[in-house]
Amino acid sequence: MVKKIFLITFLLLTTLYSSDFDGKCLNCHKNKFQFQMFMKKYTMKHSSERRIKNAIYEYLKNPTYSTSLLPFGFLQRFGVKEKTNLNDKDLRDMIDIYYERYNLKSKIY
Amino acid sequence: MYKSEKQTIFNVLSLYLTSTLLLIATLFAGYYFYKQSQHIYNEKEILKKYTLELEDKLNLTHKSGRDEYEYPRFKNFKSAIYDIDKNLIFSTFDTEIKNLDEEFIIKDKKSYLISNLKPYFLGAAYMVVEKKVKPLYIIRGLIPLAIIVVIITIITSFFLVKLVLTPLRNNVHLLDNFIKDTTHELNTPITTILANIETLNTSNCDEKSLKKLQRIETASMGISDIYQDLIYILLNHKILSKNEKLNISEILDERIKYFTNIANTKNINFQLEIKQDIYFIADKQKIDRLIDNIISNAIKYTKKSTTIKIILSDTTLSIIDEGKGMSEDEISKIFERYSRFDNTQGGFGIGYSIIKSIADEYNINIDIKSQVNVGTEVILKW
Repeated sequence: MVKKIFLITFLLLTTLYSSDFDGKCLNCHKNKFQFQMFMKKYTMKHSSERRIKNAIYEYLKNPTYSTSLLPFGFLQRFGVKEKTNLNDKDLRDMIDIYYERYNLKSKIY
Repeated sequence: MYKSEKQTIFNVLSLYLTSTLLLIATLFAGYYFYKQSQHIYNEKEILKKYTLELEDKLNLTHKSGRDEYEYPRFKNFKSAIYDIDKNLIFSTFDTEIKNLDEEFIIKDKKSYLISNLKPYFLGAAYMVVEKKVKPLYIIRGLIPLAIIVVIITIITSFFLVKLVLTPLRNNVHLLDNFIKDTTHELNTPITTILANIETLNTSNCDEKSLKKLQRIETASMGISDIYQDLIYILLNHKILSKNEKLNISEILDERIKYFTNIANTKNINFQLEIKQDIYFIADKQKIDRLIDNIISNAIKYTKKSTTIKIILSDTTLSIIDEGKGMSEDEISKIFERYSRFDNTQGGFGIGYSIIKSIADEYNINIDIKSQVNVGTEVILKW
């Protein structure tokens, strides 16, 4: 019984947060491909989960040309993104979901 | 071959062989480590090639993959990748590698090479490649060679030592033969002198001549004693013991009489407590040598006008003199051949060596109690 309650709560929370992610992130970054490319770039530069999440967090909190992983041409054309308006907790949660969905490690077979 | 010569050959041979074998062992160990390091170098080189192959494939996989990434697999080696925090990303190994700080590991007959990777394709900061270690049969090949070398060394060194010792050996033989011949030649004149003195009619002699004759007799007996000792040493216990039941009491009386003349020259008095009919099974000549040496030593080192006490009981014979005595250190060295503590007296320092060898042959225990300037007591227990 306890197990069932725990499972249902977990699923509910995941669904809630996922829908949050869809609202807070995917509404702008509509292209799934972009997310995959970002994750590839972050993985190639920062390697581990901890470092990737920290790097994304630092960038979203304070985006600069030097910390951006976008190619120079893109940056010239679009510039760096605006600072996030999410609070720390929400930002961390969104990064967790992003990593959970797109990390390379779980996709290796 | 003499006992001492055997000992010298043994000592030189052991020293030579030890140093040579040590040298051979060092050479073999050096060769073994050289081969091993060469083997490790070769293993590393192969693993490095595999690492490059893996790196290329990781690069391709990272760039080409989208939703899923197929980890590169190879026929001739296995691999694993770890992130920068040393968490496993993916592995085709059967075992887990925990220590990524070492560059090269050999574990369970497999060798592993750990390399860094940057940029981190698929997040991999460390690549580990594994291959089966090619067995190295250095020792198997070295053992027969080592045995042959050691055998040759032993044979060579034996002949070498013999060759080196030959001149020394020849000299010793020469000296030995000279002593043997001289000793042999001494026998006849000594026997003649002693026999003639005994048969000499002394009734017509004046006191002065009689004294001179006695001195001649004493001196001849001294030479005879030395002769007997030398014969014993020269034959080096090769004389077969003719053991028989001996009446020690009678022999002791006989030997004391023999030494009376010599004792008289120093005005030494014998005080005897000899229990009659004490028997012991031994060779008479050897027992004579044993008793003679103890008594002659007692006479030689005791002071003038003193008493030598001789006590014979069922199982002990004590000879107590009032001589100059010996220190503890001197007592401990007394049985060494040619050890002499007093050069004012004649002799070769072989007396106690003879006493010891005869006593050992018949399981007789020798106890020496001595005090400097008081005297010495030699106790034989059987």
